[in-house]
Amino acid sequence: MKLFRKLPGYMNIWSLLSLIIVVLILLPNLTILINFFTQKAENWGHIQEFILPDLLKNTSLLIVFTGLLAILIGTSLAWLVSAYDFPMKRFFKWALILPLAIPPYIAGYTYNGILNYTGVIQTTLRNQWGVEVDQKYFDILTLPGAVFIFTLFLYPYVYTITRAFLANQSASLIENARLLGRNAWEVFFRVVLPISRGAIVGGVSLVLLEVLNDYGLVQYFGVPTFSTAIFQTWFGMNDLNSAIKLSATLMFIVFAILIFEKVLRGRKKYSYTTAKVRPLTPIQLKGAKAWMAFSYSLLIFLLGFLIPFVQLVDWMFLTYEKIASPEFTSLITNSLLVSFVGATMIVVFAVIIANFARMHQSFVSKSAARVTILGYSIPGAVIAVGISTVFIQIDQLLFGFYEMVGMEPTLVLSTSLFMLISAYVIRFLAIGYNSIESGFDKVGNKFTEASRMLGMNLTKTFFKVDLRMIKGPLISGFILAFIEILKELPLTLILRPFNFDTLSTKAFQYASDEQIHEASLASIIIVIISGIAIYIFHQVLEKEPN
Amino acid sequence: MFIQIKDLCFCYGSTKDNTIQDFNLEIDQGEIISILGESGSGKSTILRLLCGLETPSRGSISIDGSVMTDERRFVLPEKRGIGMVFQDYALFPHMTVAENIQFGLKGFGRKAKKQRTDEVLDLVNMTAFSKRFPHELSGGQQQRIALARALAPKPSLLLLDEPFSNLDADLQIKIRSELKDIIKKTGITSIFVTHDREDSKAIADRIITMRDGAAHDWESICTTLSDQTQAELELVDMK
Repeated sequence: MKLFRKLPGYMNIWSLLSLIIVVLILLPNLTILINFFTQKAENWGHIQEFILPDLLKNTSLLIVFTGLLAILIGTSLAWLVSAYDFPMKRFFKWALILPLAIPPYIAGYTYNGILNYTGVIQTTLRNQWGVEVDQKYFDILTLPGAVFIFTLFLYPYVYTITRAFLANQSASLIENARLLGRNAWEVFFRVVLPISRGAIVGGVSLVLLEVLNDYGLVQYFGVPTFSTAIFQTWFGMNDLNSAIKLSATLMFIVFAILIFEKVLRGRKKYSYTTAKVRPLTPIQLKGAKAWMAFSYSLLIFLLGFLIPFVQLVDWMFLTYEKIASPEFTSLITNSLLVSFVGATMIVVFAVIIANFARMHQSFVSKSAARVTILGYSIPGAVIAVGISTVFIQIDQLLFGFYEMVGMEPTLVLSTSLFMLISAYVIRFLAIGYNSIESGFDKVGNKFTEASRMLGMNLTKTFFKVDLRMIKGPLISGFILAFIEILKELPLTLILRPFNFDTLSTKAFQYASDEQIHEASLASIIIVIISGIAIYIFHQVLEKEPN
Repeated sequence: MFIQIKDLCFCYGSTKDNTIQDFNLEIDQGEIISILGESGSGKSTILRLLCGLETPSRGSISIDGSVMTDERRFVLPEKRGIGMVFQDYALFPHMTVAENIQFGLKGFGRKAKKQRTDEVLDLVNMTAFSKRFPHELSGGQQQRIALARALAPKPSLLLLDEPFSNLDADLQIKIRSELKDIIKKTGITSIFVTHDREDSKAIADRIITMRDGAAHDWESICTTLSDQTQAELELVDMK
C-alpha cells in the first residue's frame, strides 16, 4: 500500500535519468564479470600457468611496500605539519601535496633520465671528478625503483586526508594526552596513530588503487603487472577474452582492497561531520628539532617535486624549438577538448545522481550513489576492456541501422571519441560526485524544502535554488575531473581513435622511444596545470571561511 | 472540520518502531494549535507529514475537504498550498528579501507580485528591508521575513517549526506576541511546534502535548485509557 504513496515522489525526471546513468556505468563492469565465467579464452591456460604467478607477486610487492612507505611518509608529515611550527611550515603545508601534480609515469622517466649513464648525476661525477660508478647502483628501472616512484608521488593522498583529520578532529584528544604528561612520541604512537586509523586507511586505499591503475610507470620500468598484461594479451596476442579474464581477476583484487578498507576502518569515518571544529594549536619547535622537521619536509619536497620539475624544465629548454609545432598545438587542443567535454559530462551526471540520492534516502538511491563511485576503484585498463566490449556489441547491433542510413556497416561508435569520453566519465564520475555530494550535504535539504513549500516543483527548485547553492562544489568537481582526465594514460592509450594523441599519450610515447628530453614539454604542461589546480584548492580555498 | 488527521503512522526508513503511532487530530478553521513535546517526541515529524515532506506509512490527512494522503493518494508538497516557517528560516541566501517573498508568488503578474510583497512586508513591519540580503538581517528580522514569505502565497494552513528556538530570551517574548497578532490579523489556521510551555500558552488557542508519537489532548482521541489519564495530568500541570 505504501507503494501508492511513495510513487508520486519517485516519478520524476531525476529518478529516470539516474537509473539510466547507473545502468550505463554498470554495463561494462558487468560485461567483464559475466564474460569471466562464460567465455573461453585460448591463451588463458598458458597465462594462468606462466604469467599470472608473476603478476600476482609483482602486484602484491608493489602494493605492500608502496602502502607501508606511503603511510610512513604521509602520516609523519601530516603530524609534523599539524602539530608543530617550524621554518617554512606554511609553505610545506600545501607544497607537500604538489607531488600529486606529477603523474607517476612522468616522474618515472624523469628519474631514469636523471640517474642513467647520460643523466646529470653520472655526467657530473665523470666530468668533474672522473668518478665512474657501478651502473647497478643507479638503475631505477626495477621493482624497488617503481615502489620508490609510487611512494614519492602518491603519498600525498595519505598526507592530505590525515592532515585534514588531525587539524580538525583531534584537538581535544591530543591536548588531553599532552596534559596527561605524555611526550611527543607517545602522543604520536598511542593517540595520533590509533585515532587517525580511519583517515590513514582511507588515504592508503586511494594510493593502492592508483598503483593498480598505473600502466605507464610499470610498463616503462619493465615490471609486469595486470595493466601491462591486459595490454599485452589484448594487443600483443589479440586475445580479448584472456584480457577480460585478467581484468576480472584484477577487479577481484580491487574488491578485496575495498573490503579490507571497510573492515579496517570499521565505523570510523575520516571526514568531519560537525560544523564546529576546533583546530589543533601547533607547538613552536626550536633549535635542532625545528631544523630536523624542516629538513625532512624539504627532502620529501625536493625528491617529490622540485628535482623532477627542474629537470623537466631543463629538458624543455633543450628541446622546445624542435617540439613546439602546429602538431603539438593540436595535442594541447585535443587534451583540453576531451578534458572539457569529459568533465562537463561528469559534473552533469554527478549532479543528477547526487540530487536523486539526497531526495530519496532509500536503498535504491544509496545503491545508485555506490555504483557512481565504483568506477574510480576500477583500474583504467579494466574499464577499457569492458567499455570496448560493450561498444563493439552495440556497433554490431547497429549494423542494420548503419546500412539503412547508407553507411558502411563498420565499427562506428567503438572507434570514436565518444567511447573514450564515456570511459572517462565512468572512471572519474566519483570525483565530481564526491565534491557535489559534500556540497549538498553542507547546504542540507531545508532550502529545497522551503522552495517546495512555496509551490515550486523539484526541477524548478533545482534550477532556481539548489544549483546556486552548490556552485562552489560544482566548480571544484569540474576542475578536479578536468585535471584527472588531462593526466590520464591507460584509458586514453587504449581507447583513443586512430591518430588521436593527447599530451599524456605523446609524453609517454616519446619516453617509451627513449626520447626522454622530447617528452618534457608535454609533461611540463600537464604538471603546471595540475600544480596550479592543487595550489588553488589547498591554498586559496582553504583560507576562505566558507 | 478544516483539518482532519486520522490514524497517522510513520517510521523513519531504518527504524522498526513507529515515530508516529496512531496520531489523530482535528482542527477548526482559524484555530491556532500548538504541539508541545520534548525533542524526539515526533512533533516536527507531524508538521513534515502534514506538508508532504514525509510519506506516512498508514492513515490519512485531509485539509479543507480535500484528501492530501490516504491509502492510495499522495499530493506532492508543492501542490498542497501549505505555508511553512522553518526552524532556521531557510531564507535563500542568494536572493534579497523581496525576491525571497516573490519566490512563492507563482502566477502573479508583476504588479500583483509587487503589491503582495509590500502587503506582507507591511504586515511584519519590514517594509524598509526589502532590498537587503538575509545575512544582512538580525535573527528576529530573518524570522519575520520567513513568516512574510510563508504567508505571501495565501496558504490555507501555516506551519511553524520551533519558531523561537533561534532567538534569545528577551527577543523571544517580544516576537511571541507580535507573531500572535500577525496570525490573528490574517485569520489563517496555524500549527506551531515548540518544546517551551510558555510559548504554547502565550500563542495557542489549544495545546496538544505529544509523547511517544501520539497526541494527548482533551478533544483528540486517545488510544488507551492510561494515555488519557496521563494526558489529563499533563494538562492540569500546565494550568
